[in-house]
Amino acid sequence: MSVVLEFENVSKEYRRLRGGRIVALADFTLQVERGETFGFLGPNGAGKTTAIHLAMGFMKPTAGRGTMLGKPFGHAATRRKVGFLAENVALYPRPAEQLVRFYGGLNGMYGSQLRSRVNEMLDAVGLLQEARRNVGKFSRGMVQRVGLAQALVNDPELLILDEPTSALDPLARVQVRELLLRARDSGKTVFLSSHLLSEVEKVCDRVAILNQGRLVALGKTSELLQSGGQTEIIARGIAVSAFSGATMDDGLVRFTVPNSSQRASLERVWSLGGEIVSVNPQHRSLEQIFLQLTTGKPEVEKGTAV
Amino acid sequence: MRQVALIAINFVREQRWPILVLMLWVVLLAILGLVWDPHRAREDFLFIFKQLGVYGVAFAVFFGASAIHNERKTRRILAVLSKGVSRTQYISGLLIGIAVAVAIFSISMGVTGSWVLGEAGARAGQIWSLIVCLMLACVLSAAVAVLFSTLLNPLFATLATAITLGVPAVAALHFGSRWARAIPAYSLLDQLLQFSFTKSSATPRSLMALAVLESIALWLCASWIFSQRDVAVAVD
Repeated sequence: MSVVLEFENVSKEYRRLRGGRIVALADFTLQVERGETFGFLGPNGAGKTTAIHLAMGFMKPTAGRGTMLGKPFGHAATRRKVGFLAENVALYPRPAEQLVRFYGGLNGMYGSQLRSRVNEMLDAVGLLQEARRNVGKFSRGMVQRVGLAQALVNDPELLILDEPTSALDPLARVQVRELLLRARDSGKTVFLSSHLLSEVEKVCDRVAILNQGRLVALGKTSELLQSGGQTEIIARGIAVSAFSGATMDDGLVRFTVPNSSQRASLERVWSLGGEIVSVNPQHRSLEQIFLQLTTGKPEVEKGTAV
Repeated sequence: MRQVALIAINFVREQRWPILVLMLWVVLLAILGLVWDPHRAREDFLFIFKQLGVYGVAFAVFFGASAIHNERKTRRILAVLSKGVSRTQYISGLLIGIAVAVAIFSISMGVTGSWVLGEAGARAGQIWSLIVCLMLACVLSAAVAVLFSTLLNPLFATLATAITLGVPAVAALHFGSRWARAIPAYSLLDQLLQFSFTKSSATPRSLMALAVLESIALWLCASWIFSQRDVAVAVD
Protein backbone atom coordinates (compact mmCIF):
# COMPACT_ATOMS: atom_id res chain seq x y z
CA MET A 1 0.00 0.00 0.00
CA SER A 2 1.25 3.48 -0.77
CA VAL A 3 1.42 6.25 1.78
CA VAL A 4 -1.04 9.06 1.10
CA LEU A 5 -0.36 11.29 4.07
CA GLU A 6 2.86 11.34 6.03
CA PHE A 7 4.12 13.37 8.96
CA GLU A 8 7.79 12.93 9.71
CA ASN A 9 8.93 14.26 13.12
CA VAL A 10 6.73 17.30 12.66
CA SER A 11 6.66 19.92 15.41
CA LYS A 12 4.75 23.16 15.58
CA GLU A 13 5.23 25.89 18.15
CA TYR A 14 3.25 29.10 18.46
CA ARG A 15 4.73 32.25 19.87
CA ARG A 16 2.74 33.95 22.59
CA LEU A 17 2.16 37.68 22.30
CA ARG A 18 3.75 38.26 25.71
CA GLY A 19 6.69 35.98 25.10
CA GLY A 20 7.10 32.25 25.50
CA ARG A 21 5.96 29.45 23.25
CA ILE A 22 3.16 26.93 23.07
CA VAL A 23 4.03 23.51 21.70
CA ALA A 24 1.01 22.46 19.66
CA LEU A 25 2.61 19.42 18.07
CA ALA A 26 5.80 17.68 19.18
CA ASP A 27 7.86 15.33 17.04
CA PHE A 28 4.75 13.91 15.41
CA THR A 29 5.18 10.97 13.04
CA LEU A 30 2.31 9.27 11.26
CA GLN A 31 1.60 7.50 8.00
CA VAL A 32 -1.83 7.11 6.47
CA GLU A 33 -2.11 4.53 3.72
CA ARG A 34 -4.14 4.66 0.55
CA GLY A 35 -7.69 3.42 0.87
CA GLU A 36 -7.93 3.43 4.64
CA THR A 37 -10.34 5.34 6.83
CA PHE A 38 -8.22 6.83 9.54
CA GLY A 39 -9.55 8.22 12.82
CA PHE A 40 -7.68 11.06 14.44
CA LEU A 41 -8.63 11.54 18.07
CA GLY A 42 -7.64 13.72 20.96
CA PRO A 43 -9.08 16.14 23.49
CA ASN A 44 -9.44 19.86 22.71
CA GLY A 45 -6.03 21.46 22.29
CA ALA A 46 -4.32 18.11 21.61
CA GLY A 47 -2.96 19.37 18.27
CA LYS A 48 -5.32 17.59 15.86
CA THR A 49 -6.37 20.70 13.97
CA THR A 50 -2.79 21.96 13.93
CA ALA A 51 -1.67 18.69 12.30
CA ILE A 52 -4.44 18.98 9.70
CA HIS A 53 -3.63 22.64 8.98
CA LEU A 54 0.02 21.75 8.51
CA ALA A 55 -0.94 19.02 6.04
CA MET A 56 -3.16 21.46 4.13
CA GLY A 57 -0.34 24.01 3.96
CA PHE A 58 -2.17 26.65 6.00
CA MET A 59 0.87 26.86 8.23
CA LYS A 60 4.47 25.75 8.20
CA PRO A 61 5.98 23.32 10.68
CA THR A 62 8.59 24.57 13.14
CA ALA A 63 10.50 21.34 12.52
CA GLY A 64 10.11 18.17 10.51
CA ARG A 65 8.50 17.57 7.16
CA GLY A 66 5.53 15.88 5.62
CA THR A 67 3.99 14.81 2.37
CA MET A 68 0.47 14.60 1.01
CA LEU A 69 -0.11 12.38 -2.03
CA GLY A 70 3.64 12.25 -2.45
CA LYS A 71 4.21 16.02 -2.54
CA PRO A 72 5.42 18.27 0.28
CA PHE A 73 2.75 19.92 2.42
CA GLY A 74 1.46 23.11 0.82
CA HIS A 75 1.80 21.98 -2.80
CA ALA A 76 -1.16 23.75 -4.44
CA ALA A 77 -1.68 21.45 -7.42
CA THR A 78 -1.85 18.40 -5.10
CA ARG A 79 -4.73 19.96 -3.19
CA ARG A 80 -6.88 19.56 -6.30
CA LYS A 81 -7.01 15.86 -5.41
CA VAL A 82 -7.87 16.55 -1.78
CA GLY A 83 -11.19 17.35 -0.16
CA PHE A 84 -11.10 19.33 3.07
CA LEU A 85 -13.73 20.30 5.58
CA ALA A 86 -12.63 22.62 8.36
CA GLU A 87 -13.98 22.50 11.88
CA ASN A 88 -16.84 25.06 12.12
CA VAL A 89 -16.61 25.63 8.39
CA ALA A 90 -17.07 29.26 7.27
CA LEU A 91 -18.55 29.83 3.83
CA TYR A 92 -19.58 32.83 1.73
CA PRO A 93 -23.23 33.82 2.04
CA ARG A 94 -24.64 32.88 -1.35
CA PRO A 95 -26.86 30.17 -2.86
CA ALA A 96 -25.58 26.70 -2.02
CA GLU A 97 -25.35 25.63 -5.64
CA GLN A 98 -23.30 28.71 -6.63
CA LEU A 99 -21.06 28.26 -3.64
CA VAL A 100 -20.21 24.62 -4.32
CA ARG A 101 -19.67 25.53 -7.99
CA PHE A 102 -17.24 28.27 -6.89
CA TYR A 103 -15.19 25.81 -4.84
CA GLY A 104 -15.26 23.27 -7.66
CA GLY A 105 -14.02 25.98 -10.00
CA LEU A 106 -11.11 26.68 -7.66
CA ASN A 107 -10.14 23.04 -8.14
CA GLY A 108 -10.00 23.55 -11.90
CA MET A 109 -13.43 22.04 -12.68
CA TYR A 110 -15.78 23.72 -15.14
CA GLY A 111 -18.67 23.28 -17.55
CA SER A 112 -21.22 20.50 -17.50
CA GLN A 113 -18.91 18.21 -15.48
CA LEU A 114 -18.88 20.75 -12.66
CA ARG A 115 -22.61 21.40 -12.87
CA SER A 116 -23.57 17.73 -12.67
CA ARG A 117 -21.05 17.08 -9.90
CA VAL A 118 -22.43 20.00 -7.85
CA ASN A 119 -25.98 18.63 -8.12
CA GLU A 120 -24.77 15.13 -7.31
CA MET A 121 -23.00 16.31 -4.15
CA LEU A 122 -25.86 18.51 -2.97
CA ASP A 123 -28.11 15.49 -3.45
CA ALA A 124 -25.69 13.30 -1.51
CA VAL A 125 -25.80 15.64 1.49
CA GLY A 126 -29.58 16.03 1.22
CA LEU A 127 -29.61 19.65 0.10
CA LEU A 128 -30.62 19.47 -3.55
CA GLN A 129 -34.03 20.96 -2.73
CA GLU A 130 -32.27 23.87 -1.00
CA ALA A 131 -29.70 24.45 -3.77
CA ARG A 132 -30.98 27.94 -4.59
CA ARG A 133 -31.26 29.10 -0.98
CA ASN A 134 -28.61 31.37 0.48
CA VAL A 135 -26.16 29.55 2.76
CA GLY A 136 -26.23 32.61 5.04
CA LYS A 137 -29.79 31.64 5.99
CA PHE A 138 -28.98 27.98 6.64
CA SER A 139 -28.82 26.33 10.06
CA ARG A 140 -25.42 25.30 11.41
CA GLY A 141 -26.02 21.69 10.41
CA MET A 142 -27.01 22.67 6.86
CA VAL A 143 -23.87 24.82 6.50
CA GLN A 144 -21.84 21.83 7.63
CA ARG A 145 -23.48 19.73 4.93
CA VAL A 146 -22.69 22.35 2.27
CA GLY A 147 -19.14 22.21 3.63
CA LEU A 148 -19.13 18.48 3.02
CA ALA A 149 -20.47 18.98 -0.51
CA GLN A 150 -17.68 21.45 -1.33
CA ALA A 151 -15.12 19.01 0.10
CA LEU A 152 -16.41 16.20 -2.10
CA VAL A 153 -17.12 18.17 -5.28
CA ASN A 154 -13.74 17.41 -6.86
CA ASP A 155 -14.10 13.65 -6.26
CA PRO A 156 -10.97 13.70 -4.05
CA GLU A 157 -8.48 10.88 -3.59
CA LEU A 158 -7.92 11.99 -0.02
CA LEU A 159 -10.65 13.40 2.18
CA ILE A 160 -9.59 15.32 5.29
CA LEU A 161 -12.45 16.06 7.63
CA ASP A 162 -12.08 18.02 10.85
CA GLU A 163 -15.09 17.33 13.07
CA PRO A 164 -17.51 16.78 10.15
CA THR A 165 -20.47 15.78 12.31
CA SER A 166 -20.02 18.26 15.15
CA ALA A 167 -23.11 20.34 14.32
CA LEU A 168 -25.28 17.63 12.83
CA ASP A 169 -28.43 16.01 14.15
CA PRO A 170 -28.51 12.18 14.48
CA LEU A 171 -30.14 11.70 11.09
CA ALA A 172 -27.58 13.87 9.32
CA ARG A 173 -24.82 12.04 11.19
CA VAL A 174 -26.04 8.76 9.77
CA GLN A 175 -26.03 10.35 6.28
CA VAL A 176 -22.45 11.52 6.77
CA ARG A 177 -21.42 8.10 8.04
CA GLU A 178 -22.94 6.52 4.93
CA LEU A 179 -21.08 9.04 2.78
CA LEU A 180 -17.82 8.13 4.50
CA LEU A 181 -18.45 4.43 4.07
CA ARG A 182 -19.26 4.99 0.40
CA ALA A 183 -16.04 6.98 0.01
CA ARG A 184 -14.11 4.13 1.63
CA ASP A 185 -15.79 1.55 -0.57
CA SER A 186 -14.83 3.53 -3.67
CA GLY A 187 -11.18 3.39 -2.61
CA LYS A 188 -10.76 6.88 -1.23
CA THR A 189 -8.62 7.61 1.77
CA VAL A 190 -10.46 9.34 4.60
CA PHE A 191 -8.67 11.15 7.41
CA LEU A 192 -11.28 11.85 10.03
CA SER A 193 -10.75 13.98 13.10
CA SER A 194 -13.64 13.67 15.50
CA HIS A 195 -14.76 13.85 19.08
CA LEU A 196 -17.53 11.38 18.39
CA LEU A 197 -15.71 8.22 19.38
CA SER A 198 -18.64 5.91 18.61
CA GLU A 199 -18.62 7.35 15.08
CA VAL A 200 -14.90 6.71 14.68
CA GLU A 201 -15.27 3.22 16.14
CA LYS A 202 -17.85 2.40 13.46
CA VAL A 203 -16.09 3.68 10.36
CA CYS A 204 -12.32 3.80 10.93
CA ASP A 205 -9.84 1.06 10.07
CA ARG A 206 -7.08 2.63 12.14
CA VAL A 207 -6.96 5.33 14.76
CA ALA A 208 -4.37 7.62 16.29
CA ILE A 209 -4.85 9.32 19.62
CA LEU A 210 -3.10 12.58 20.26
CA ASN A 211 -2.63 14.21 23.65
CA GLN A 212 -0.79 17.44 24.44
CA GLY A 213 0.74 17.47 20.98
CA ARG A 214 2.09 13.92 21.24
CA LEU A 215 0.96 10.65 19.74
CA VAL A 216 -0.18 8.38 22.58
CA ALA A 217 -1.77 5.53 20.67
CA LEU A 218 -1.82 4.28 17.13
CA GLY A 219 -3.15 1.09 15.64
CA LYS A 220 -5.97 -0.83 14.05
CA THR A 221 -9.29 0.03 15.67
CA SER A 222 -10.06 -3.64 16.33
CA GLU A 223 -6.68 -4.18 18.00
CA LEU A 224 -7.04 -1.11 20.17
CA LEU A 225 -10.47 -2.19 21.28
CA GLN A 226 -9.13 -5.62 22.29
CA SER A 227 -6.05 -4.21 23.94
CA GLY A 228 -7.74 -4.16 27.34
CA GLY A 229 -6.28 -7.66 27.89
CA GLN A 230 -9.04 -8.92 30.22
CA THR A 231 -11.26 -11.98 30.01
CA GLU A 232 -14.45 -12.61 31.93
CA ILE A 233 -14.95 -16.24 33.05
CA ILE A 234 -18.26 -17.63 34.29
CA ALA A 235 -18.12 -20.98 36.09
CA ARG A 236 -20.23 -23.11 38.40
CA GLY A 237 -19.48 -25.70 41.05
CA ILE A 238 -16.74 -23.70 42.76
CA ALA A 239 -16.62 -21.46 45.82
CA VAL A 240 -16.81 -17.71 45.25
CA SER A 241 -13.70 -17.30 47.38
CA ALA A 242 -11.63 -19.31 44.89
CA PHE A 243 -10.88 -16.21 42.80
CA SER A 244 -10.33 -12.71 44.09
CA GLY A 245 -12.98 -10.22 43.04
CA ALA A 246 -15.41 -13.00 42.02
CA THR A 247 -19.16 -12.59 42.47
CA MET A 248 -21.89 -15.21 42.69
CA ASP A 249 -25.30 -14.96 41.13
CA ASP A 250 -27.77 -17.89 40.77
CA GLY A 251 -24.97 -20.36 41.53
CA LEU A 252 -22.72 -18.89 38.80
CA VAL A 253 -19.33 -17.55 39.82
CA ARG A 254 -18.23 -14.61 37.66
CA PHE A 255 -14.68 -13.20 37.66
CA THR A 256 -12.26 -11.35 35.40
CA VAL A 257 -8.63 -12.29 34.81
CA PRO A 258 -5.85 -10.93 32.60
CA ASN A 259 -5.56 -12.69 29.23
CA SER A 260 -2.13 -13.96 30.25
CA SER A 261 -3.57 -15.97 33.15
CA GLN A 262 -6.72 -17.14 31.35
CA ARG A 263 -5.47 -20.69 30.76
CA ALA A 264 -4.25 -21.12 34.35
CA SER A 265 -7.59 -19.84 35.66
CA LEU A 266 -9.56 -22.31 33.54
CA GLU A 267 -7.34 -25.19 34.73
CA ARG A 268 -7.85 -24.07 38.32
CA VAL A 269 -11.65 -24.14 37.88
CA TRP A 270 -11.41 -27.70 36.54
CA SER A 271 -9.00 -28.78 39.28
CA LEU A 272 -11.50 -27.51 41.87
CA GLY A 273 -14.18 -29.67 40.27
CA GLY A 274 -15.97 -26.77 38.65
CA GLU A 275 -17.45 -26.38 35.20
CA ILE A 276 -16.83 -23.52 32.75
CA VAL A 277 -20.01 -21.84 31.55
CA SER A 278 -18.48 -19.14 29.35
CA VAL A 279 -15.23 -17.32 28.54
CA ASN A 280 -15.70 -13.78 27.21
CA PRO A 281 -12.82 -11.57 26.03
CA GLN A 282 -13.48 -8.08 27.38
CA HIS A 283 -13.69 -5.30 24.73
CA ARG A 284 -13.12 -1.75 25.81
CA SER A 285 -14.91 1.02 24.03
CA LEU A 286 -12.83 3.62 22.22
CA GLU A 287 -14.13 6.07 24.78
CA GLN A 288 -12.60 4.07 27.64
CA ILE A 289 -9.27 3.84 25.82
CA PHE A 290 -9.43 7.55 24.96
CA LEU A 291 -10.14 8.56 28.55
CA GLN A 292 -7.40 6.31 29.91
CA LEU A 293 -4.82 7.67 27.51
CA THR A 294 -5.72 11.32 27.58
CA THR A 295 -6.11 11.66 31.31
CA GLY A 296 -3.05 9.54 32.12
CA LYS A 297 0.61 9.83 31.32
CA PRO A 298 1.28 10.62 27.62
CA GLU A 299 2.98 7.40 26.67
CA VAL A 300 2.41 5.26 23.58
CA GLU A 301 -0.16 2.56 24.30
CA LYS A 302 1.53 -0.80 24.84
CA GLY A 303 0.61 -3.67 22.57
CA THR A 304 -0.58 -1.53 19.68
CA ALA A 305 0.94 -1.35 16.23
CA VAL A 306 2.88 1.91 16.31
CA MET B 1 -5.66 31.82 -14.32
CA ARG B 2 -9.20 30.56 -13.83
CA GLN B 3 -8.63 30.39 -10.07
CA VAL B 4 -7.33 33.99 -10.06
CA ALA B 5 -10.40 35.16 -11.98
CA LEU B 6 -12.74 33.33 -9.58
CA ILE B 7 -11.06 34.87 -6.53
CA ALA B 8 -11.19 38.32 -8.16
CA ILE B 9 -14.89 37.99 -9.02
CA ASN B 10 -15.57 36.68 -5.54
CA PHE B 11 -13.78 39.69 -4.04
CA VAL B 12 -15.86 42.15 -6.08
CA ARG B 13 -18.99 40.29 -5.09
CA GLU B 14 -18.09 40.39 -1.42
CA GLN B 15 -17.26 44.12 -1.63
CA ARG B 16 -20.37 45.04 -3.60
CA TRP B 17 -21.78 47.29 -0.88
CA PRO B 18 -18.70 49.53 -0.48
CA ILE B 19 -18.46 49.69 -4.28
CA LEU B 20 -22.11 50.68 -4.46
CA VAL B 21 -21.57 53.41 -1.85
CA LEU B 22 -18.67 54.71 -3.95
CA MET B 23 -20.85 54.65 -7.05
CA LEU B 24 -23.48 56.75 -5.31
CA TRP B 25 -21.06 59.68 -5.45
CA VAL B 26 -20.77 59.25 -9.21
CA VAL B 27 -24.56 59.14 -9.45
CA LEU B 28 -24.67 62.35 -7.39
CA LEU B 29 -22.32 64.03 -9.89
CA ALA B 30 -24.56 62.85 -12.73
CA ILE B 31 -27.69 64.17 -11.02
CA LEU B 32 -26.01 67.54 -10.42
CA GLY B 33 -25.02 67.54 -14.09
CA LEU B 34 -28.69 67.29 -14.96
CA VAL B 35 -29.80 69.96 -12.50
CA TRP B 36 -27.06 72.61 -12.52
CA ASP B 37 -25.99 74.83 -15.41
CA PRO B 38 -22.65 73.30 -16.58
CA HIS B 39 -21.02 76.66 -17.35
CA ARG B 40 -21.97 78.49 -14.17
CA ALA B 41 -21.24 75.55 -11.85
CA ARG B 42 -18.20 74.16 -13.61
CA GLU B 43 -15.80 74.81 -10.74
CA ASP B 44 -18.21 73.01 -8.40
CA PHE B 45 -18.35 70.08 -10.80
CA LEU B 46 -14.57 69.99 -10.95
CA PHE B 47 -14.33 70.05 -7.15
CA ILE B 48 -16.70 67.05 -6.86
CA PHE B 49 -14.81 65.26 -9.62
CA LYS B 50 -11.48 65.71 -7.79
CA GLN B 51 -13.10 64.67 -4.54
CA LEU B 52 -14.27 61.45 -6.19
CA GLY B 53 -10.68 60.73 -7.21
CA VAL B 54 -9.50 61.03 -3.60
CA TYR B 55 -12.33 58.73 -2.47
CA GLY B 56 -11.24 56.18 -5.09
CA VAL B 57 -7.69 56.06 -3.73
CA ALA B 58 -8.97 55.93 -0.14
CA PHE B 59 -11.26 53.00 -0.96
CA ALA B 60 -8.45 51.18 -2.80
CA VAL B 61 -6.30 51.44 0.35
CA PHE B 62 -9.24 50.32 2.50
CA PHE B 63 -9.89 47.32 0.23
CA GLY B 64 -6.22 46.37 0.14
CA ALA B 65 -5.54 46.76 3.85
CA SER B 66 -8.54 44.74 5.01
CA ALA B 67 -8.96 42.01 2.37
CA ILE B 68 -6.70 39.32 3.83
CA HIS B 69 -7.58 40.14 7.43
CA ASN B 70 -11.31 39.81 6.82
CA GLU B 71 -10.90 36.49 5.10
CA ARG B 72 -8.71 35.15 7.89
CA LYS B 73 -10.92 36.49 10.64
CA THR B 74 -14.05 34.88 9.15
CA ARG B 75 -11.97 31.73 8.40
CA ARG B 76 -13.36 31.69 4.86
CA ILE B 77 -9.79 31.72 3.62
CA LEU B 78 -9.40 28.08 4.75
CA ALA B 79 -11.97 26.72 2.32
CA VAL B 80 -10.41 28.74 -0.52
CA LEU B 81 -6.80 27.80 0.20
CA SER B 82 -7.77 24.15 0.71
CA LYS B 83 -8.37 23.99 -3.05
CA GLY B 84 -5.78 23.98 -5.79
CA VAL B 85 -4.97 27.63 -5.21
CA SER B 86 -1.43 28.86 -4.50
CA ARG B 87 -0.76 31.84 -2.26
CA THR B 88 0.47 33.80 -5.29
CA GLN B 89 -2.80 33.10 -7.10
CA TYR B 90 -4.71 34.18 -4.02
CA ILE B 91 -2.90 37.52 -3.75
CA SER B 92 -3.22 38.00 -7.52
CA GLY B 93 -6.96 37.37 -7.27
CA LEU B 94 -7.32 39.95 -4.50
CA LEU B 95 -5.29 42.56 -6.39
CA ILE B 96 -7.17 41.97 -9.63
CA GLY B 97 -10.44 42.10 -7.68
CA ILE B 98 -9.43 45.50 -6.27
CA ALA B 99 -8.36 46.63 -9.75
CA VAL B 100 -11.76 45.56 -11.14
CA ALA B 101 -13.58 47.41 -8.33
CA VAL B 102 -11.44 50.48 -8.99
CA ALA B 103 -12.02 50.15 -12.75
CA ILE B 104 -15.80 49.96 -12.30
CA PHE B 105 -15.67 53.14 -10.24
CA SER B 106 -13.12 54.97 -12.42
CA ILE B 107 -14.82 54.15 -15.72
CA SER B 108 -18.21 55.27 -14.46
CA MET B 109 -16.48 58.38 -13.09
CA GLY B 110 -14.87 58.88 -16.52
CA VAL B 111 -18.18 58.50 -18.37
CA THR B 112 -19.97 60.90 -16.03
CA GLY B 113 -16.99 63.28 -15.89
CA SER B 114 -16.54 63.50 -19.66
CA TRP B 115 -20.24 64.29 -20.01
CA VAL B 116 -20.57 66.80 -17.15
CA LEU B 117 -17.12 68.40 -17.45
CA GLY B 118 -17.32 68.14 -21.25
CA GLU B 119 -20.45 70.27 -21.14
CA ALA B 120 -18.43 72.72 -19.03
CA GLY B 121 -15.62 72.94 -21.57
CA ALA B 122 -13.13 70.13 -20.81
CA ARG B 123 -11.92 67.79 -23.55
CA ALA B 124 -12.91 64.13 -23.19
CA GLY B 125 -9.31 63.06 -23.97
CA GLN B 126 -8.05 65.05 -20.99
CA ILE B 127 -10.65 63.52 -18.69
CA TRP B 128 -9.80 59.96 -19.76
CA SER B 129 -6.09 60.61 -19.34
CA LEU B 130 -6.83 61.70 -15.76
CA ILE B 131 -8.96 58.60 -15.23
CA VAL B 132 -6.05 56.36 -16.30
CA CYS B 133 -3.78 58.24 -13.85
CA LEU B 134 -6.38 57.74 -11.12
CA MET B 135 -6.73 54.02 -11.83
CA LEU B 136 -2.98 53.53 -11.68
CA ALA B 137 -2.76 55.55 -8.46
CA CYS B 138 -5.49 53.36 -6.98
CA VAL B 139 -3.88 50.09 -8.07
CA LEU B 140 -0.46 51.15 -6.78
CA SER B 141 -1.96 52.28 -3.45
CA ALA B 142 -3.85 48.99 -3.16
CA ALA B 143 -0.66 47.03 -3.92
CA VAL B 144 1.16 48.87 -1.11
CA ALA B 145 -1.80 48.20 1.23
CA VAL B 146 -1.95 44.50 0.30
CA LEU B 147 1.78 44.19 0.93
CA PHE B 148 1.39 45.63 4.43
CA SER B 149 -1.77 43.60 5.06
CA THR B 150 0.25 40.39 4.71
CA LEU B 151 2.11 41.47 7.85
CA LEU B 152 -0.14 43.84 9.79
CA ASN B 153 -3.74 44.20 10.87
CA PRO B 154 -5.92 46.61 8.82
CA LEU B 155 -5.37 49.63 11.06
CA PHE B 156 -1.58 49.39 11.02
CA ALA B 157 -1.57 48.36 7.36
CA THR B 158 -3.57 51.50 6.51
CA LEU B 159 -1.25 53.68 8.58
CA ALA B 160 1.85 52.12 7.02
CA THR B 161 0.33 52.58 3.55
CA ALA B 162 -0.51 56.23 4.25
CA ILE B 163 3.06 56.86 5.42
CA THR B 164 4.57 55.00 2.46
CA LEU B 165 2.46 56.91 -0.04
CA GLY B 166 2.77 60.24 1.78
CA VAL B 167 6.49 60.36 2.47
CA PRO B 168 7.50 60.78 -1.22
CA ALA B 169 4.97 63.62 -1.54
CA VAL B 170 6.34 65.40 1.54
CA ALA B 171 9.92 64.76 0.45
CA ALA B 172 9.11 66.26 -2.95
CA LEU B 173 7.99 69.49 -1.25
CA HIS B 174 11.29 69.82 0.62
CA PHE B 175 13.90 68.15 -1.57
CA GLY B 176 12.62 68.44 -5.11
CA SER B 177 9.95 66.91 -7.33
CA ARG B 178 11.98 63.85 -8.30
CA TRP B 179 11.32 62.40 -4.82
CA ALA B 180 7.65 62.15 -5.72
CA ARG B 181 8.58 59.54 -8.31
CA ALA B 182 9.78 57.10 -5.64
CA ILE B 183 6.24 55.81 -5.21
CA PRO B 184 4.22 57.83 -7.73
CA ALA B 185 0.70 57.24 -6.34
CA TYR B 186 0.43 60.78 -5.04
CA SER B 187 1.98 62.26 -8.19
CA LEU B 188 -0.58 60.46 -10.34
CA LEU B 189 -3.45 61.55 -8.12
CA ASP B 190 -2.02 65.06 -8.18
CA GLN B 191 -2.52 65.12 -11.96
CA LEU B 192 -6.23 64.96 -11.23
CA LEU B 193 -6.08 67.39 -8.31
CA GLN B 194 -4.16 69.99 -10.35
CA PHE B 195 -6.45 69.79 -13.36
CA SER B 196 -8.13 73.02 -14.44
CA PHE B 197 -10.21 74.16 -17.39
CA THR B 198 -7.70 76.86 -18.28
CA LYS B 199 -4.40 74.99 -18.48
CA SER B 200 -3.59 71.72 -20.15
CA SER B 201 -0.97 69.26 -18.89
CA ALA B 202 0.90 66.46 -20.64
CA THR B 203 0.13 62.81 -19.89
CA PRO B 204 2.82 61.62 -17.42
CA ARG B 205 3.72 58.43 -19.29
CA SER B 206 6.90 57.74 -17.30
CA LEU B 207 4.98 58.00 -14.01
CA MET B 208 2.36 55.65 -15.38
CA ALA B 209 4.98 53.10 -16.45
CA LEU B 210 6.68 53.40 -13.07
CA ALA B 211 3.37 52.82 -11.28
CA VAL B 212 2.77 49.66 -13.32
CA LEU B 213 6.27 48.33 -12.62
CA GLU B 214 6.06 49.13 -8.91
CA SER B 215 2.63 47.50 -8.66
CA ILE B 216 4.04 44.31 -10.18
CA ALA B 217 7.05 44.39 -7.84
CA LEU B 218 4.80 44.94 -4.80
CA TRP B 219 2.48 42.13 -5.94
CA LEU B 220 5.44 39.71 -6.20
CA CYS B 221 6.75 40.84 -2.83
CA ALA B 222 3.32 40.49 -1.16
CA SER B 223 2.91 37.02 -2.71
CA TRP B 224 6.25 35.88 -1.38
CA ILE B 225 5.61 37.21 2.13
CA PHE B 226 2.10 35.73 2.18
CA SER B 227 3.43 32.33 1.11
CA GLN B 228 5.64 32.33 4.23
CA ARG B 229 2.83 33.23 6.62
CA ASP B 230 0.58 30.96 8.67
CA VAL B 231 -3.01 31.71 7.71
CA ALA B 232 -4.77 29.50 10.21
CA VAL B 233 -3.83 31.25 13.44
CA ALA B 234 -5.68 33.90 15.44
CA VAL B 235 -5.36 37.21 13.60
CA ASP B 236 -5.75 39.70 16.45
